[in-house]
Amino acid sequence: MTVRLSHDTIWINESHSVGAHSEHVSVYLIDLGGEYILIDSGSFHHRDSIKTAIDRETDGEGIDALILSHSDYPHSGNVDEFRNEWDDVELVASSGSPAVQGLPTDARKCSIGGELEVLGRKFSFIDPPLADRSHTTWIYDHESGILFAADGMGSTHTAADRNKTAAELEGGISYDHIYEFHHDTLVWLRYVDPSKLRGAIEDILEEYHPTYIAPIHGHPIPANALDEYMEKLIKAADQIATEYEVPGQT
Amino acid sequence: MPREVRDSLYWIQECGADRSNFVEETSDPNPVWYNEDEELHIGQCAYLFTDDQTLLFDTLSPASSDRIIAVLDELLAGDDLDYLAVSHPDVPHAGNTARILREYPEATLVAPKYGTGHELYHLDDAMHVGEGDTIDLGTNTVAFHEATFLDAALHMWMTETTTNTLFPVDWFGYPHTNSECGLFADEFDHAITPDRLMHFHGRVLFWYQYVDVEKVNAEIDQLIESYDPDLLAPAHGNVVRENVSDHMRLMKQVVQDINQDGRVGALG
Repeated sequence: MTVRLSHDTIWINESHSVGAHSEHVSVYLIDLGGEYILIDSGSFHHRDSIKTAIDRETDGEGIDALILSHSDYPHSGNVDEFRNEWDDVELVASSGSPAVQGLPTDARKCSIGGELEVLGRKFSFIDPPLADRSHTTWIYDHESGILFAADGMGSTHTAADRNKTAAELEGGISYDHIYEFHHDTLVWLRYVDPSKLRGAIEDILEEYHPTYIAPIHGHPIPANALDEYMEKLIKAADQIATEYEVPGQT
Repeated sequence: MPREVRDSLYWIQECGADRSNFVEETSDPNPVWYNEDEELHIGQCAYLFTDDQTLLFDTLSPASSDRIIAVLDELLAGDDLDYLAVSHPDVPHAGNTARILREYPEATLVAPKYGTGHELYHLDDAMHVGEGDTIDLGTNTVAFHEATFLDAALHMWMTETTTNTLFPVDWFGYPHTNSECGLFADEFDHAITPDRLMHFHGRVLFWYQYVDVEKVNAEIDQLIESYDPDLLAPAHGNVVRENVSDHMRLMKQVVQDINQDGRVGALG
């Protein structure tokens, strides 16, 4: 299913089951008016449906560039297939060791903390406070103001709510879904100091003022819903940390 | 060349790209353990048990696809591979799974039971293991554990009870120079130090910058106490055969330094 977040950015959402709920494994398509950039390639599990959505949204033209948040199968599972499907797709990736990460050697490297122009569009590649791989980057589109967040700022969801942005959910994204995602995905949060985490994320938000946070694993969060999400996120991090006691330390 | 750590336990190291820039970009570009005339590597390791039953733990990265097959062919010497256990589906650790299973179709794929989305990693049909699960290989018995320090949830560590070996994954990694490739840590000219460990953990366990240091360091103490290993076989460092607990204790300073100074870069 696709949802247009802005005049030039389309959320292509896919999900997989996580117990009683589901978790998004999304990609985002940026329409440059005849050329297209895909943020992440999605999982092999969702390959056919992602390809169908891209074909539909691009009138069969396909993508011209693919920017990876990191090399991990739910994000990079379709790189080779999409580059074979559509001609001359430029690959941009944060990995400094493409051979080790199983990526094509012609990938253009984006440095974490740096900027690049891709098809004339300016992107920043942000060091994310919430991540599960060393070379994960959050990708900020300077044109739309959308911050694409991999492996953080996420949430689980019910099947009925899969296609909704945070603004379309009654009461916003539920605390329980935010907690469930972060507890089950970023296990290291059991050691976190929530105030340090809050500060790190707020520094990014203050620098970039995103119009949307567009997570790979959650509902897109518009700017006016961010404060609410942040309060729930930090509360969830605090709960995760509080619940965990080092064995033998009680 | 793979090295025999103990009878029927082999360490297979992939050295990877030159990472000399990691040292040269720091405030101390000439640490005692570094030689600027040599390359610096942070590699991947796999471990092979050639017991009555054979087991490979991790696969090296796709950059060593041909090599891991050649090494397995050499060390197994015509025997089957019975188990392929992947610590987590990160590409540098599990990237050769499909190829190894094609070469050894009778092998049972073993994967962590932790986390979600096994189907997204082709692990849905694997033998899922975790804390309390063991595989008897004959002389050796391996046990699987929830990882103490980890990046993603779908992750496990391993121990072996006969040799009392702990196999930490994405913890206690550190760089080595050309002349240290394939050496045990006790064969180095210079002891492992916190600043050396920092080059790995300051990149991979970047989240240490957001933690309660006291809590993490209590966990390190608990780790040492609960396992008290005689051998440390890390996924991203050379094998440690001596003074293992003292080596593990070095990590407490590393946690403090990352928490105070932030991450030093990325790796991957």
